[in-house]
Amino acid sequence: MGLPLYDAQSDPGPSFVRFAEMSGLTTRSDSHDLSAHATTVVAVRHRDGVVMAGDRQATTYYVANRDVRKIEAADRFTALAISGSAARGLEFIRLAQLSFEHYEKMTDTALSLEGKANYLSPLIQRNNLTSTLVVLPLLAGWDLAHQRGRIFEYDGAGGCYERQDFSVIGSGSPFAESTLRLGFTPDMTQEDAVALAALAIYEAADNDPSTGGPDFVRNIYPMLVTLSAEGFRELDQDVAAATFRSINDRRAESGGVAGGTLR
Amino acid sequence: MSNYFYVAPEQLIKDRAEFAQKGIARGRSIVAAIYDVGVVMVAENPSASLNKISEIYDRIAFAGVGKYNEFDRLREAGIRWADGTGYTYSREDVDARALANFYAQHLGDMFTEGQKPLEVEVLVAQLGNKFRSTKLYRIAYEGTISDETDFAVLGGDAETIKERFASLEVGRLSLAQTLKNAVSALAGPDRQLPVEDLEVGVLEDHGERRTFSRLGDEQIARLLT
Repeated sequence: MGLPLYDAQSDPGPSFVRFAEMSGLTTRSDSHDLSAHATTVVAVRHRDGVVMAGDRQATTYYVANRDVRKIEAADRFTALAISGSAARGLEFIRLAQLSFEHYEKMTDTALSLEGKANYLSPLIQRNNLTSTLVVLPLLAGWDLAHQRGRIFEYDGAGGCYERQDFSVIGSGSPFAESTLRLGFTPDMTQEDAVALAALAIYEAADNDPSTGGPDFVRNIYPMLVTLSAEGFRELDQDVAAATFRSINDRRAESGGVAGGTLR
Repeated sequence: MSNYFYVAPEQLIKDRAEFAQKGIARGRSIVAAIYDVGVVMVAENPSASLNKISEIYDRIAFAGVGKYNEFDRLREAGIRWADGTGYTYSREDVDARALANFYAQHLGDMFTEGQKPLEVEVLVAQLGNKFRSTKLYRIAYEGTISDETDFAVLGGDAETIKERFASLEVGRLSLAQTLKNAVSALAGPDRQLPVEDLEVGVLEDHGERRTFSRLGDEQIARLLT
């Protein structure tokens, strides 16, 4: 690549995606169903921010990968999670991370959280309406300007909706969502929100074959992420292990029956 | 039919060089120096928003003097090139030397073939790691690229400032000391530069991927005392 200089009319501005398309860095071809699918991530708002939890499995007709990271820091205060085509999804995360950083470097100001959320809409729209490899992301972050945690979810056509309570993406959604519906309260502490989000993933993994649960054999556990005034923080695998082990122990005690309580 | 007067190539180059030098001399200078654990760039810049120093990539920074609109376009192109290269290959593959060469080519082309030469001088700084060394590449208006070992001075008054700075900066010093030396070299013997007129950018490892940071007025004042 040569030095990408543009005159004022054709300048792509601070948008990395526009620049990448103009210079042919992104190409699209369409194959279907060869790709693995990534599933089930939840985001839960609580009084001091947002927590996210996501399983680690990518699935084709079999388990394709057991330690995929479906939640990544898009920047210091924002997390981006994906479901749907794993290939396109991971690429989507890379493109989004780069886009936010590119904008920041070009203009010397960071995009607002809402600006980031809106920026993703046309990317999703273009991918999903031109390809069978559908991607559905979930954006959550700490809004520095408004000092609160915020969650943005998307529909398949790129529509962006802010959620005040919680949001779920992926094939395990029905089970994760049910768990969150029953357990969510608006004034939860971060600790409670982490426990609830972990339980939601546990339930999804229990009933959805494409969602991976805690893997006590290989020591791989769903990711637990917190977003607060301190920024993006991924909880240690030890903490995740302890969280899921205690859910598992309780469930073993009741003989595998959830039992109508959120324990 | 129009008539063209013959101009000797030597004369043409001389005129163009003079034109560019004059433009560059109108602006204030920049000192960039390698200190014990990083690179610091110090500019005299009364504007708080029209920056001369900027982040290009994880370990690469840019500084420009001369006409703002001209070096700012080079800065933007540099960010695009770096982000594009890192996206296509890997973040490790983004190298300051390649970027410095592109700047040199472009400035050289503009100097000989452009409507007018660009009235800028730019610096590409790279913070070293296991794989690469810390580098300062200075690229002049006509495309001359130089690899400076310890420090570089850009701008009209470069020679004088260079001498002043060289007499102060002996070996690799701390950030605070290097900053003090840079500021006093920029100011000269008869002037005191207020903190608000300084723009300072630093490349230093803090265990994170990105190493560039701007120092605010308070931080600068603290380091200067």
